[in-house]
Amino acid sequence: MHTDEQLRASLKEIGDLKSALDEHAIVAITDPQGKITYVNDKFCAISKYSRAELLGQDHRIINSGHHPKAFISDLWATIGHGRVWHGEIKNKAKDGTFYWVDTTIVPFLTEQGKPRQYVAIRADITERKAAEEKLKASTKEVIDLKLALDEHAIVAITDPQGKITYVNDKFCAISKYSRDELLGQDHRIINSGHHSKEFIRDLWTTIARGKVWHGEIKNKAKDGTFYWVDTTIVPFLNEQGKPRQYVAIRADITELKRAEEAAAQLAAIVTSSDDAIIGKDLRGVVTSWNDGAVKLFGYPASEMIGQSITRLIPPGRQMEETEILSQIKRGENVRHFGTVRVRKDGSAINVSVTVSAIRDQKGKVVGASKVARDITEQKAAEETIRQLNTDLEQRVKERTAQLEIANRELEAFSYSVSHDLRAPLRAIDGFSQAVLEDFGPKLPDEGRRYLQTIRYSAQRMGALIDDLLAFARLNRQEMNKRPIDTGKLVRSTLDELGFPWPNRSVEVHIGDLPASSGDPVLLKQVWINLLSNALKYTSKRVKAEVEIGCTKTNGAETFFVRDNGTGFDMRYADKLFGVFQRLHRVEDYEGTGVGLAIVQRIIHRHGGRVWADAAVDRGATFYFTLEKETKP
Amino acid sequence: MNDPNAVELLLVEDNPQDLELALRALRKANLSNRIHVARDGAEALEFIFCEGPHAARRITDCPKVILLDLKLPKVDGLEVLKLIKGDPRTKMIPVVVLTSSKEQSDVVESYQLGVNSYIVKPVNFEQFAEAVHDLGLYWLLLNQPPKVAN
Repeated sequence: MHTDEQLRASLKEIGDLKSALDEHAIVAITDPQGKITYVNDKFCAISKYSRAELLGQDHRIINSGHHPKAFISDLWATIGHGRVWHGEIKNKAKDGTFYWVDTTIVPFLTEQGKPRQYVAIRADITERKAAEEKLKASTKEVIDLKLALDEHAIVAITDPQGKITYVNDKFCAISKYSRDELLGQDHRIINSGHHSKEFIRDLWTTIARGKVWHGEIKNKAKDGTFYWVDTTIVPFLNEQGKPRQYVAIRADITELKRAEEAAAQLAAIVTSSDDAIIGKDLRGVVTSWNDGAVKLFGYPASEMIGQSITRLIPPGRQMEETEILSQIKRGENVRHFGTVRVRKDGSAINVSVTVSAIRDQKGKVVGASKVARDITEQKAAEETIRQLNTDLEQRVKERTAQLEIANRELEAFSYSVSHDLRAPLRAIDGFSQAVLEDFGPKLPDEGRRYLQTIRYSAQRMGALIDDLLAFARLNRQEMNKRPIDTGKLVRSTLDELGFPWPNRSVEVHIGDLPASSGDPVLLKQVWINLLSNALKYTSKRVKAEVEIGCTKTNGAETFFVRDNGTGFDMRYADKLFGVFQRLHRVEDYEGTGVGLAIVQRIIHRHGGRVWADAAVDRGATFYFTLEKETKP
Repeated sequence: MNDPNAVELLLVEDNPQDLELALRALRKANLSNRIHVARDGAEALEFIFCEGPHAARRITDCPKVILLDLKLPKVDGLEVLKLIKGDPRTKMIPVVVLTSSKEQSDVVESYQLGVNSYIVKPVNFEQFAEAVHDLGLYWLLLNQPPKVAN
């Protein structure tokens, strides 16, 4: 009895457990073939099938098709072997909706150890599953967003102490630091020193209070270059409302900043320019007016912007603006147009105007920029220069006239010298001769010698006058430059001088003589004078030697005549080319002292130079050039 | 057809010393016959064109040569030369300019006006005498003057 009671008691307990289980769980029992032999109410409720519809069916009735075959075969393999299977299964209800159940299948075995029946206990986890799905989806979304953000922005995360805990690739790229160099550092590593302490303090105060900070920051990269970032720092707070971490999202605005700086610089240039820089539209209405324009025209910007530019133009010149505007509309610029404009006070100013077309991005002309410069001073300077030039021209004219007069006087003087000065000499010489002829026999020897001396002196003075006149004539003579065969000129000169002088022993050596350029008549005179000098000053040599050649001096062809004659003392070389200057006595060597002066004057008129090198009793060499020496 | 007493040589010279020396040189060269002397340009022209004191002279009795100084009182030598050479009746008369001047302008102008010879009087008397002798000999004795139709 006791066992009956016990049995009853335990049956009751089982029954209680079963009802408790039925309350709590979805229960189904199937036979070893999988045919449903029992379902509780909860099973019917969730599957929306009636018990009658379920019993005798297998579980395929609620198969959702969600799980792969392997999953199902694994399930059957597990319970077929008498082991408990546990897992989550997605089922399909009668109305086509899906539900998730956390499932435990317990196989009950025969005494032979074969499954007798399977008891499946399930709990509805549809909501949990949905939440999980949602979470998974939103996590994926976050990951996508982060990817997108990393693609787009420079991202860094710091802890509340400002230590960098995360940087993305873009941060590394722009800062030129590697991730390892950045992590654990604070942002001082990229501090450019550009911002004030107040700026930095304001940033930290803002984010420490849990507020978003936004601003533009100039940073320094590892290589010392600077970059600008548009920065948003978002503080993330913990449950106590204290910042847990800071996420900084930045965009590179270096180019923008550069453009801004350049624009600001241009604006500063425009503002500070002394030139008036004015913007106007195609109708001539002023759109901008800088300080230079204020200074130049006297109107403040407020009185000009929106007004027509024509108020600056004098009444007689209004057509100029029409012409300028139509030129601008055609896309042509107006450069350095000198004109007159009117100031606010009514005074006129000389200005140089440059007008350029302003185009929009499509290249269409939408207005004009006009730069006007005050050229009053320049005009005055030009006027002064013009005046000076006129004065100078006048003075040159006057001086030329004076010179012409002096020249004419000199000509008249030469003419009169030529005619009148020689006549008395002729008389002195002629009558001395007449006395000698007619009364010679009656005169003592001494008297005849005196008369000879008188004649000699008169003739010498005649020679002096002739040479002097020849010398004076040189300056008046026109230069007639043409190519000259120097060798031919020298040989013809030698012939004229009586080459080869049968009564003397003269050895003439002629070197290579390049062609030159000059006045043939004048240059012939040069060669005559130099060669006859060489002959004269070698006249006392038993064997005279004369060398004629050409060498280079400072890049210029230099002709020379060298002799082995009596030479001269180089101490007196500076007197050599003076008129009537002689280094030898007349008794020793005949001459008037004009020959070398003539040579020098001719050479100078050709733009050349003449000089000599000599030693007493060791010959002389005369050099001359006919062109500028390239090196001084 | 020529008057045997006709003047053979007209010497135009203002300077008395030069004149005397020239005459002396001509005389020494035996060329002193039938020389007429004019002391300035005006006198020379009167003689040549048979005016004033020479109105009785026939213009066809031309001198065989005229020795002409350039620098002359009243009418200068170049002017005289121009008138002689510009007149068909006298332009055939040989004119020798005998002057102190070596000025190129004088030489060029003389030749442009048709002078037959240009001689610069040298200071040296011997050369002067020689020049006078030579030109007298040439123009008076050797040169065959063209026949001038009356």
